[in-house]
Amino acid sequence: MKLKALKERYGLDRFFLGERTVDGKPLTLNQRRIFILPTKRGLGFGLLILLLALIAFVYNNNLAYMLAFLLGSIFFITILHTYKSLAGLTIQEGQANPVFAGEAAGFGVHIDNPTSVERQYVQVKLKTVENFNLKANSKAHLTLYDLTQKRGWHPAGTVTVFSTYPLGLFRAWSPIRFNGKALVYPKPANQEIPFPETGSTQNQQGRFKKGGDEFYGLQGYQPGDPIKHLHWKAYAKGLGLFTKQYGGESSAEIWLDYGQAPGHSLEERLSHLCRWVVDAEQAGVSYGFILPGLRLEPGYGPAHYRKCLEALALF
Amino acid sequence: MATNPAHNKEILIFLLSSIGLIVLPHVYHLHWGVFGYFCFLLAWRFVGIWKPERLPTFPVILLLIVSGMAILYVQHRGFLGRDGGTSLFVIALGLKLMEIKTERDLYLINYLAFIVAASQFLYEQSILMAAYILFVTCVLLAVLVYINSYVAQTSVALKKAAVIIAQAVPMAIVVFILFPRVEAPRWLLFNDDHQAKMGLSDSMEPGSITDLGMSDELVFRVKFAGAIPPAKQRYWRGPVLTQTNGKKWTQASDLSYQKYLDKLTYMGTPYQYTLLMEPQEKNWVFALDMPADYPKPLERNANYQLLTSDNLDKRSEFKLVSYPTYNTGYLTKTEFKDARHLPGEPSENIKQLVAQLHGFDSPPDVFINQLLNHFREEDFHYTLTPPLMEENPIETFLFETRYGFCSHYASAFVYLMRVANIPARVVTGYQGGEWNAVGNFLEIKQADAHAWAEVWLDKQGWVRFDPTAAIAPERIEKNIDIARLVPGGLISYAAPSAGAQATFDFLKKARQLWSNVDYNWQRWVINYNNTNQASFLSSFGIADFKTMVYWMMGIVGIITAILSLFLLYRRPKPTDPVLIVYNRFLKKIAKAGLTKKPGEGARDFAERIKSKLLSQAATIEQITDAFIDQRYGRNPTGRGLIELNRLIILLKL
Repeated sequence: MKLKALKERYGLDRFFLGERTVDGKPLTLNQRRIFILPTKRGLGFGLLILLLALIAFVYNNNLAYMLAFLLGSIFFITILHTYKSLAGLTIQEGQANPVFAGEAAGFGVHIDNPTSVERQYVQVKLKTVENFNLKANSKAHLTLYDLTQKRGWHPAGTVTVFSTYPLGLFRAWSPIRFNGKALVYPKPANQEIPFPETGSTQNQQGRFKKGGDEFYGLQGYQPGDPIKHLHWKAYAKGLGLFTKQYGGESSAEIWLDYGQAPGHSLEERLSHLCRWVVDAEQAGVSYGFILPGLRLEPGYGPAHYRKCLEALALF
Repeated sequence: MATNPAHNKEILIFLLSSIGLIVLPHVYHLHWGVFGYFCFLLAWRFVGIWKPERLPTFPVILLLIVSGMAILYVQHRGFLGRDGGTSLFVIALGLKLMEIKTERDLYLINYLAFIVAASQFLYEQSILMAAYILFVTCVLLAVLVYINSYVAQTSVALKKAAVIIAQAVPMAIVVFILFPRVEAPRWLLFNDDHQAKMGLSDSMEPGSITDLGMSDELVFRVKFAGAIPPAKQRYWRGPVLTQTNGKKWTQASDLSYQKYLDKLTYMGTPYQYTLLMEPQEKNWVFALDMPADYPKPLERNANYQLLTSDNLDKRSEFKLVSYPTYNTGYLTKTEFKDARHLPGEPSENIKQLVAQLHGFDSPPDVFINQLLNHFREEDFHYTLTPPLMEENPIETFLFETRYGFCSHYASAFVYLMRVANIPARVVTGYQGGEWNAVGNFLEIKQADAHAWAEVWLDKQGWVRFDPTAAIAPERIEKNIDIARLVPGGLISYAAPSAGAQATFDFLKKARQLWSNVDYNWQRWVINYNNTNQASFLSSFGIADFKTMVYWMMGIVGIITAILSLFLLYRRPKPTDPVLIVYNRFLKKIAKAGLTKKPGEGARDFAERIKSKLLSQAATIEQITDAFIDQRYGRNPTGRGLIELNRLIILLKL
């Protein structure tokens, strides 16, 4: 047990892959988690010091020696300063929002500076680099993006927090392995294809009507109401959230069936099915959803929409 | 900076200004061609900040490089040595300015600038220069801070750089003291063409000088261990001029009679002192008349002048012992011949004067007194701006102009002695010096340069006479401050008014204080070499190389530990009591299985849990309101906090 803990503690993967976060709890960056090495510019600075010392030696010049020693001390002290630019920060994983394949998945990161030291130019890297400045006792929330390709779960991977402040001679970094993963929906097919005929499964001869456009009143907002039907003007006036009700909506009901989706492969079919779900939700039609082994009764609204897409992502 | 810092205007202005500052003092050191070329490039780059399209294209840069190399070649025939190397780096820095594309270029320029900064020290090592370079170092570091900052502000960057430097200084000083100094091997020393340095020359031609420059430049300093010689005895011996053609006086060409010299005998109390010479072109060491003990590389020539075989182009220190009274004993044949040599038959006027002063018919000492009286009683004047005396300068001086400075008097005196068949010669060197009461040392400046006479007298050997001292005090031109020039104490002015005197005293005091600082700077910083280091460190029991390195690492380690503690120790955060109380509330709610998500506001959290804990909804609302009011409100009160606490205690789940 102990050995395992030790192994974990000094394992090389902590260096290369980073520290694992546990249950999304905040991790404090400390001497165990911060690594520090000179940058290329730092090595160049070392060469400069050597050159100055050489000049001092050749000309037996004490002030040139002094300058070389001063720069040497500065080089040395910068290690502490660069370390200090990360030490004490706490990093916590945030939410990852689902995306369609091909889009960039965003992973939230909460960075808290509970110390009284202002942090200059801290950088956080996943695939792209984000940078920020953190005042004493303040927090920052960032979203890091990573491009997705396949549907399913997309793990966040290793997030690296780093800084070269103040002189750029050293780079302090702390790799943290995030547990979070983003759900990736299939990529909706590009071409628009008509919804499948639904007569076979439903007796009711649903006449597809693309969205009702007959406005008949307002109703208090209920979670799940389509956002585009919100009465923004009323909201802006401070009257609260209302949803505009349109007539004719409930009359349409379709079934989106995997069996009816065109395509030669599983992915192609899922892609088309996904497209249908997106279109149906946009149209505000009540839609049922059928995958092999899964059947969702017709409905609409974000919750239903999400359920369908999740099923597609994880199929 | 997220965007490319090489295109950031503020960074460029900041960097270019600091580059200008770094190179600026070289205006005194470099050839105007090199300096002008650099200024041209810097100005061009400055224009390029606002008009990037005006920056040189690649072929033009190539042309600039070629012309830069050409200037370098024409000026220095290469880039070895101090001047050539400095010019090379300055030109390279200027050329690199033309090509700033990435952050890397900014760093390269910054590093080059540090090398140029170090090259300033090869020319000047004063405190002021050190302070200036320290300041510029701060600016250069601030540029780096600026590049690595999120929101860049010049003042913030400068402050950060200053803090880093301040923290680095103690460590640098420790390393400076303990870093083993090894003298560079000879082959590494590049020979430089010597810069013209002010100083005594090895010849003198008083008749051709109409304006004697008075330079306040320091020549050497003397620190006495024990007794200090009175002002009258402070004659610092330099070249002895024996040969003359009637106009020009030069050193004897043949000094081989040294082996026949009589044994010197010393009398009186010896003076022990340390001589700290400023860089010299010549290898002369100006010892107090008469040097008896001198350390190894020093030698005393046939004219009792101290010479060193080492280069004096750096500050050097010598421990010497001199005796104020001495007897040089008998005169060698060569000396006798040389010291009586006349360039030609003296004129009738001269012969008449010597006869009149009993030069031919009385013992030498009588004639000498007569002559000194003659200078005193006749209408002779002391001036630094004598008339030109091209033909027969001595005769013209003695009978016509009668205006002159020490060289005129010394040469005329020696000439007349020789006419009277008395061996005599001119000795040049320095006389007097200003006592620095703060640092307890004597400062001798170029303005203290002096010439006096030496006469060989039977049973006494060479005896010093200073004819300049014989001039009547009121005949000294008062518009020049030459109090130091003539033997101390013999000439005095009417005292100035009391107020002026006080100001003068204050200024003098301030100047002496500064001189003292400068003296110690030169002694302990500039002149801290391997010998100094060894003797200084051995007083702490640090004798060898290994112990030195151990001590260095040990002290640097201790400083690092202190700095780390100072920089990285975090005091437990003083938490807002409101937050402590609120956390109790969160804990209570957590028991019900509801936790506040990170980033979730207190209000949102309350809304979320109210629906789950309907029975306590009102209390939760109250607590949340009170908390927000206390934490974010304008005027939190102690009572509000107590109320919040009470509400939380009352909360029952």
